[in-house]
Amino acid sequence: MKISKRPGGVLGIVAMTSIVALSLSGCTRDGAGQGGGSGSSPGITDSAITLGITTPLSGATAGPGKCTVAGVSAYFGAVNAAGGVKFGDGKTRTVTIKSYDDAYDPQKSLANFQQMVSDNVFAATAGLGTPTNRAFREAAISQKVPQVLVMTGDPLFSDRKQSPWQLGFVPIYQNEGAAFGKLLSASKGQHKVAILSQNDDYGKGYVAGFKEAIKDASNISVVGEQTYEATDTSVDAQLTQLASSGADVFFNAMSVTPLTISALQKAQQIGWKPSWFLPSNTSSPTAILEPGGAAAYPGIYSVSFAKAPQSPAFAKDPDVTKFLSELKQYGNYPDMPAFPHCMWSYMVGATLEQAFKSMTEPTRDSFMTALRNIKDLKAPLMLSGTAVDTTVDGQPAVSSVVVQKYNGKGYATAENFG
Amino acid sequence: MGTVSSALGRRSVRIALAVLAAVVLLAAPLLLPAFANQTLVRIGVYAVAVLGLNIVMGYTGQVNLGQIFFVGLGAYVTAYGVNQGWNIVVVFIAACVSAGVVGLLVALAAARLGGLAIAMVTIALPIVGVPLAKRLDEFTGGSQGISARFSDAPEWSGLYNDQWQFYIVLVVTAAAFLLARSLVRGKYGRAFAVVKENEAVAASMGISPYRTKVLAFTIASIFGGASGFLYLAAVQYTSPETLSFGHSISLLAAMVIGGAGSIAGSLLGGAYYIFVPQITNAIDPNLTTLSQGAILLAVLFLLPGGLVSLPRALRRLGRRRSGRPTSGNPPKTAPAPHPVPEAALEGPDNKERQDRP
Amino acid sequence: MTLLELVDVTASYGPVQVIDGVSLSVPEGGSVGILGANGAGKTTTLRAISGTVRTGGRITFEGRDIRGLRPDQVAALGIAHVPEGRGTLGQLSVRENLMVGAYLRKGRKAIADDVDYCLELFPQLRDRVGSRAAALSGGEQQMLAVGRAFMAKPKLLLLDEASLGLAPSTAKTVYDAIRRLRRESGIAMLVVEQNANLAFSLVDTATVLETGRNVLTGTSAELKGMDEIRRAYLGG
Repeated sequence: MKISKRPGGVLGIVAMTSIVALSLSGCTRDGAGQGGGSGSSPGITDSAITLGITTPLSGATAGPGKCTVAGVSAYFGAVNAAGGVKFGDGKTRTVTIKSYDDAYDPQKSLANFQQMVSDNVFAATAGLGTPTNRAFREAAISQKVPQVLVMTGDPLFSDRKQSPWQLGFVPIYQNEGAAFGKLLSASKGQHKVAILSQNDDYGKGYVAGFKEAIKDASNISVVGEQTYEATDTSVDAQLTQLASSGADVFFNAMSVTPLTISALQKAQQIGWKPSWFLPSNTSSPTAILEPGGAAAYPGIYSVSFAKAPQSPAFAKDPDVTKFLSELKQYGNYPDMPAFPHCMWSYMVGATLEQAFKSMTEPTRDSFMTALRNIKDLKAPLMLSGTAVDTTVDGQPAVSSVVVQKYNGKGYATAENFG
Repeated sequence: MGTVSSALGRRSVRIALAVLAAVVLLAAPLLLPAFANQTLVRIGVYAVAVLGLNIVMGYTGQVNLGQIFFVGLGAYVTAYGVNQGWNIVVVFIAACVSAGVVGLLVALAAARLGGLAIAMVTIALPIVGVPLAKRLDEFTGGSQGISARFSDAPEWSGLYNDQWQFYIVLVVTAAAFLLARSLVRGKYGRAFAVVKENEAVAASMGISPYRTKVLAFTIASIFGGASGFLYLAAVQYTSPETLSFGHSISLLAAMVIGGAGSIAGSLLGGAYYIFVPQITNAIDPNLTTLSQGAILLAVLFLLPGGLVSLPRALRRLGRRRSGRPTSGNPPKTAPAPHPVPEAALEGPDNKERQDRP
Repeated sequence: MTLLELVDVTASYGPVQVIDGVSLSVPEGGSVGILGANGAGKTTTLRAISGTVRTGGRITFEGRDIRGLRPDQVAALGIAHVPEGRGTLGQLSVRENLMVGAYLRKGRKAIADDVDYCLELFPQLRDRVGSRAAALSGGEQQMLAVGRAFMAKPKLLLLDEASLGLAPSTAKTVYDAIRRLRRESGIAMLVVEQNANLAFSLVDTATVLETGRNVLTGTSAELKGMDEIRRAYLGG
């Protein structure tokens, strides 16, 4: 007599596998990416179109991730309520948004993409994250599913040859660094710049754009350069080093929120008060500058292409009030947005609508053609001086940014440095 | 009971079932929709990682919080090898061997420390691994990650990519599970179990606890490397995010949920790892953390032995429902004649362990 | 021929010196008892041999100095330890427990034969060979512990309080089987036992410990006659 205490070995495994296999839904295979009958692509009917967003809705990046869904949902929620979008083929369709949480895990974002294909989603859009977007880029290409207006500064997504079914939305890192470099070069005075950057493609992109822009400026000199790792918990040593260079401008290409706050605190502690440059995703007035005590510095500069709703300058702006009310009503986001991604994805909605209006056939091909043909679109919430332009190879949909200066509450466009 | 004829009968039934299952597995990808295949492929990837974790934790009782590091290492080696144009079999071996060698070196140092110190060392692995992967961008593509495609179906096969990937994963996963099964049922499996239960007794039987731990850890790392290879077959891309520490904890949860110290449980753990995010996404993508936690707690409360104990729990429930075994239970399904083992612990002298003061 | 020899062995748990100069020797095939009251250092002497406590002095086995070896190295030389409290592995089946004892051995056939021998020696185990050891009674666990040690085919068996916690009749059954094992296998034994009658049924010579030192050594016959010794050290 043998008592086997577990469903034994192979048998158990095999049984479990079979159960798992059989429990999966049994719908039949439809050719990947092929349309259903009438020549239209999956995910679009005569009355509706379905878009998918895979983005971090849990974990450390959930804050910005939730914004990416909220903005698009808000935009199309209002559009749907007004009847829908009149597409280029003459039919009016409502827009459905399906969101999927990938927790910033590439494996999960690929799984979500596969789920989208199985859920008959027309296109993936607005998702946040470089690795998570890269994880399904090739799958999207091979299945000819658009992966467009995604939130990554990775230039790969804007390279048409390598990424025929992709398009990035936000400016690439170089765009931001260059914008500040240009402003600085145009200033009258002599400036000494200290640079601190994250030791990866993010930091390198910012520094490369900045240095390219100041290359020919005789009034600007770089007097100190330090790097740190994204996992470092302190940059005090680098700050002390840079402070001793006597720089009056501090270019800080940093992507980590708590580190940025502590850097702002540390520099004033050691008596170094230069003007700061901060990247757009680590320059939030409420989340970073206030706790960092940024008012102590002569100037905090960042770049933006979106109106900041918390800024007093835009408090009565019709774009902003409309955006905030739609965000509350349709985006399930009742608070003042803490991340610019809410505004960005709202603009993604406007850009998509523009493409829908001019696509002449209900196909993904026609959509991509229409999407790549948008020029000088002033999407709602865009700052003057910026626009959506999808026609330039190698550039994301938004490549123009304006430099802004912190005014103690929010940001205002800076015409000059100083 | 236990007669020759019934043993033979059981064996032939087993073989028939195994053949049937093999046929099902081979035919499944041809019949299932693409998304089902892709899901099964990902389950295979993580089942192998959980299996390795089970060998070192479930069977040998050594806390390992760094298994994801070896998955990531295997994935990076695979990506590098594929992009260098190595033969795919060589790539596979390289992924397993490099993970095994690193695992061995770590274990040689960590197993000496014993107890919680091993856990601390293994925590360090993914924490060091992520910035390392970012910095070694010549090999790893930095924080943007690295793509490598080797698992697309070749023309001659006439298969879709998901079907081809299914077969790749099936071969490696099946081999891994058969290997692990014979390992834990043999001499080394017994050594693992003794070390887990009582290191002093292990030593008194000539089983070096140190060497046994190193062996288990190394094997777990090799399985991690194999899982990394499969990860690349399934995802075709890896980045520092692959080996972030949080995933290691998820693997651990998957192992416990599936069933610690169980081969079949590892497969269920892999399924849990993949299905739960899908299910929670379907419930509400904004509440995934909450619903994942709820599912985890529910399983642990209802099935402390993991999902693999579900049939046993159901049987016990059924037995309780049907009252006394005498009330018309056919002899075939009658419960074992022996009392439930747990109930038979002896009173005064259940001093099991020979502890050093 | 001397198989095992201890000369002035000391051992301590941390700062606490538990044995303080124990000497004894076990001839090949011989059976030696260690007697004494609770806390005299009997168990610690066995642990000193098997390498689980830090020791001083000299311990030689087959002429080789084994002091300072790790427990698994000592076991590999052919010294099997049946620890106090048995140390059966509750989560493993009876058969698996026996197989664990044969960990260092090669040869499937010989191992299988020895498993059969153990089950013949301890017929109570035969019916329970597939159940978990935790389900066994105290006596059965003691039998299993002895059987497992035998499975290693040792040259020397260290037996610690095999009667502890057992009913007198069960203890007698266990010792009967151990005597038969000794007779049929010729394995040398070093036996710690509180129960003097059981001890003298198994050993040829014995040494009496008091607070970590030898106070008396003699043959079974000599010691058996000393009533005062028996009362003082062996509890009657």
